[in-house]
Amino acid sequence: MHNRIKELRAGQDLSQLELAQKVGVRRETIVFLEKGKYNPSLRLAHDVAKFFGLPIEEVFLFDDEAGPSPGRETVGR
Amino acid sequence: MKRTIVMFVIGALVLATLALWVFKGHFAWNIQEMVMAGIVLIVVGFAVYLGLSRLRSHGRGEPGEDELSKTVMMKASSLAFYISIYLWLFIMYFSGKTTLEAHSLIGAGIAGMAVVFVLCWLGVKLFWMKNA
Repeated sequence: MHNRIKELRAGQDLSQLELAQKVGVRRETIVFLEKGKYNPSLRLAHDVAKFFGLPIEEVFLFDDEAGPSPGRETVGR
Repeated sequence: MKRTIVMFVIGALVLATLALWVFKGHFAWNIQEMVMAGIVLIVVGFAVYLGLSRLRSHGRGEPGEDELSKTVMMKASSLAFYISIYLWLFIMYFSGKTTLEAHSLIGAGIAGMAVVFVLCWLGVKLFWMKNA
């Protein structure tokens, strides 16, 4: 999974610290998120997406070229 | 904030106890006791680092702890617990082959657990957060 946080943050001329304060985490967490070293909880992903006024799937993008994960594709089929 | 203050108070108490041991007690100034004192200093230093980091966060208007720091702490704790089982297994094996007394071995085990936790925390923080 990768995300567009850095790009969206730059678009609003926000520092990492300001974004961290807006979504209630430490600046370090924003650094880790932008570097792709940490996958956020659903709550944090929701808060970040809500802050930018976008749906989650437009901020956090799944690398699904490899197809669905094992165990996820069989339910309901 | 309360937890940070408690962390500093415990660190100060540990340092005071260490100072009493070294200057008023029966500190032998041999390698074994100097290593133990060094380990205590490393662990207290780690606690002070964490406390200062949280204070800096408070000063910037951030939370002292958030989901990333809690995840790092949880992963480090579980990894340290797992490694500590093998540490105690090694100490049990080693206890039959040494003349060290039981309290020395238990002290070494506890100090070893503290060092294992610090190393696990550093490892998780620096190298193992990908796909946390």
